[in-house]
Amino acid sequence: MDKAASSSSEGPTWPRLEEQETPPSGTPPSPPSRPEYLARRRRLGLAGLGLGAAGLLAGGLTVEQLWQRSHTPTPLAEQQLIGHLLRRAGFGAGPDELAFYRNLGFTAAVDHLLNYQHSSDDELEQRLEALHLNLDRPQDQQRWWLLRMAWTQRPLLEKMTLFWHGVLTSSFRKVGGPRFYRRMIIQNQFLREHAFDTFDNILLGITSDPAMLFYLDLTKSTRNAPNENYARELMELFTIGLGHYTQQDVTEGAAALSGWHVRGFASYYDPASHNDRLKHFLGHSGNLDYRDVIAILAEHPATPWFLARKLFSFFVYENPSTEDLQPLVDAYQQSKHNIGAVMRALLLSPQFVSAKAYRSRLKSPVEFAVGAYRALGIQDDAALLPQFTTLMGQTVFDPPNVAGWPGDKVSAFWLNSGTWLTRLNYVDLLLRRGLGRGSARPLDLQAIIEKQRLASPEAFVDYFAAFLLDGELASDRRTQLVSYLTSPATGAQESVAFANGKAYPLSRVRGTLYLLLASPEYQLN
Amino acid sequence: MILSRRALIKDGMLAVSAGMIMPTVFSRALLSARAQAREGVRLAQAASERTLIVVQLAGGNDGLNTVIPYTDSHYYQMRPALAIKETQVLPLDQRLGLHPEMTGFKKLWEAGHLAVVEGVGYPNQSLSHFQAMDIWQTLDLSGNGREGWLGKLVAGLVDQEGHPFKALDIGGQTALALSSLNAQVPTLASLSEYRISADPQDRDGGASRLEALLKLYNSYPRSAPYAALLETTALAAQEGARRLHQVANAYRPAVAYPQGPFAEGLKILAEVIVNDLGLRVGYITLGGFDTHANQQETHAQLVKTLSDGLYAFYTDLALHGKADQVVIMTWSEFGRRVEENGSLGTDHGTAAPMFIVGNAVNRGIFGEPPSLTNLDDNGNLKYTVDFRSVYATVLERWMGASAQDVLGSSFDTQDFLPSS
Repeated sequence: MDKAASSSSEGPTWPRLEEQETPPSGTPPSPPSRPEYLARRRRLGLAGLGLGAAGLLAGGLTVEQLWQRSHTPTPLAEQQLIGHLLRRAGFGAGPDELAFYRNLGFTAAVDHLLNYQHSSDDELEQRLEALHLNLDRPQDQQRWWLLRMAWTQRPLLEKMTLFWHGVLTSSFRKVGGPRFYRRMIIQNQFLREHAFDTFDNILLGITSDPAMLFYLDLTKSTRNAPNENYARELMELFTIGLGHYTQQDVTEGAAALSGWHVRGFASYYDPASHNDRLKHFLGHSGNLDYRDVIAILAEHPATPWFLARKLFSFFVYENPSTEDLQPLVDAYQQSKHNIGAVMRALLLSPQFVSAKAYRSRLKSPVEFAVGAYRALGIQDDAALLPQFTTLMGQTVFDPPNVAGWPGDKVSAFWLNSGTWLTRLNYVDLLLRRGLGRGSARPLDLQAIIEKQRLASPEAFVDYFAAFLLDGELASDRRTQLVSYLTSPATGAQESVAFANGKAYPLSRVRGTLYLLLASPEYQLN
Repeated sequence: MILSRRALIKDGMLAVSAGMIMPTVFSRALLSARAQAREGVRLAQAASERTLIVVQLAGGNDGLNTVIPYTDSHYYQMRPALAIKETQVLPLDQRLGLHPEMTGFKKLWEAGHLAVVEGVGYPNQSLSHFQAMDIWQTLDLSGNGREGWLGKLVAGLVDQEGHPFKALDIGGQTALALSSLNAQVPTLASLSEYRISADPQDRDGGASRLEALLKLYNSYPRSAPYAALLETTALAAQEGARRLHQVANAYRPAVAYPQGPFAEGLKILAEVIVNDLGLRVGYITLGGFDTHANQQETHAQLVKTLSDGLYAFYTDLALHGKADQVVIMTWSEFGRRVEENGSLGTDHGTAAPMFIVGNAVNRGIFGEPPSLTNLDDNGNLKYTVDFRSVYATVLERWMGASAQDVLGSSFDTQDFLPSS
């Protein structure tokens, strides 16, 4: 922690934390010496307990976490850093993957994630192939993508694709009927292939994407009857936002965008179907067409702010300030709208690795379900995975509407009593049965204990907390888990033996892992 | 969305959460006779209360093809392809009639249980789905509201009685209308999933694991991120799940509901009402109304789903003797453009009708159908009734709540419900 905090921009930025609160008089604004800092944090934190809403510390850190940091010799911040990176720029990780990225160091890890071409996903493709999924069926489409997220060596690419799917979104329910459900896969592949391309290219591609042409009715637009649906949402939800255009821009934009249609699984541009009258769109006039509309929007001063806010809220924390967004806006403009450059600026920003960002969002259903599946290295065919994410409130390829998932913007929307119960029941099933078709394949805890040579209940809790929670489990809560594991259970049942020779009931050992995954801490990302 | 600790203390919910680690809450068998007696009294009280069911028609329902001005020649001029023929309309009076697929609503009308409020809207509509939805749900005309009008209503009710099913939202995500700064509304997509599964290896049915879990939530530091939200969610969920499955499941639908998720959701609401779980506000959404192209078939299917579903729901409640205590209200974020577009669809509009269903309603058309010739600059209807006056009517005349408190200011009421 010391090394990261003091030596480079890679560490959490303590000064930012300090800025969030009014320092006591006489305290220098720069990072104070460590003991002084911690003492102050603890005072503030304890005061926060009595302060209602103020109890949520600005930095998003608990008193316990800070207390633990000050008393543990392991480099916890380093540990937080890579776990945090892989949760946000991916779907979490098991111990081996975590160790791999930790060895790279933070900046190299970011570049490894961004330069995904160097990591092969051939194995993933072969495994998916072997499942013989029918990509004309929505359930199989969902499995196909959720398993990509679980098995990929390119986690940021899949996460970025998920981000774009929540913004430039379509639903299988309106892409031309069951015979054409596969248009959703075509759209998904486009978003994956161009995830880090220029925003201009992404907008050009999504405008002429067969699923999108159906979803927002642009394929119905004709020379004499432009349809205004796509024109409005392109401005309101994809580029500049409400308040930057008028109803006239909607109708003029619609006329300019006319000309695209769909045949089978491909789209085509028909000049004869394009309305070639003079148009006035966002201050530009001429016989504008879709290329002009997209160039105007990609260049519009509101666009980088709009996009930066979406990216920042999704990947870093909610309600970013102008200062938070400025570097992303700069990167957008300096790179000629390159999303890879914007993402690099985001991931290497002090804000991304700040305590304010840490655990500052609730896991989305996909992050939760895929995350647990990936981290535990479950190897079944995940037949039950789609229905669980649906019950948790997120069905990929079927967003609630053209604005995508509200939880992508405000993650608290993901949590309610029904989705919380589903999270619990998912964990329960995952551990004692697995998600595969056919007979139960419980997670083999005895094998894990033997392979990792886990000597005791304490070692068991620590092993899983290390990669599921970055080792960030306060000592009193660790004690609660250990005492649950070691508490006597009624009735005869299977048992699990530790390396110290003691055996405990299976339900207690498995239940302890259930408690970790169902804990408040694990709901956070 | 983050609940403040102070708010919880103030509202007395902290006392409830202290009970989270008491073993008695985990098993019906352990409930004392006294507690059971208390329960009985409370359920009896709940049964006497009135319920409001709110149905959201998401996407912007085409009001003109739902409640059709079938004697207005302008309607047929503006909609040469999409207009419903006069001979097909199900007439309500000399001016207005229902879409031909809405036979269920026609029956409710004939039985005297349907009211229509015409021309409902608000000033300066932006034609954005999302701003309009936010405004209808939070009443903040800037579109930046965070607390829902029903959430405010329910928060008051929860404080008084602490009942887990004062409100119920059917779906995967709590509607903004129900979001509250200091109450959690149970939200569920499936009744059978609204329970905590146990590990069969656990001989105690999962009780000790659940107890350990709730202890982890109860002892989660108050200052940690999302602490209050996580804790109240856990509390509401486990208490609600327990209560739900504790009630002997006497409910059997008295009618055959149509297929599909909308009717399935209505069935859940009926079950909660029939089982006297104390529901005051139920919420359900039917989506897909954004009919920019080829709308005829889609829209017909949607209004049929709405009408058939609510007719089955009403009839089911009536056969269970519950129809007197339930009023249903529908809303949509906007109506659609008067003139059809070139894709056999309609674009975003403004004012639209709302439906009110129930034994308590005064049958009739309320409000004034907007003129089809005196349109705004975008070719949209000028609203004649402020949506907040419809809310005020339901709050004051049905829920017995102060519209002033919930809506933030006073609005005229309408006569679709009796004034006393």
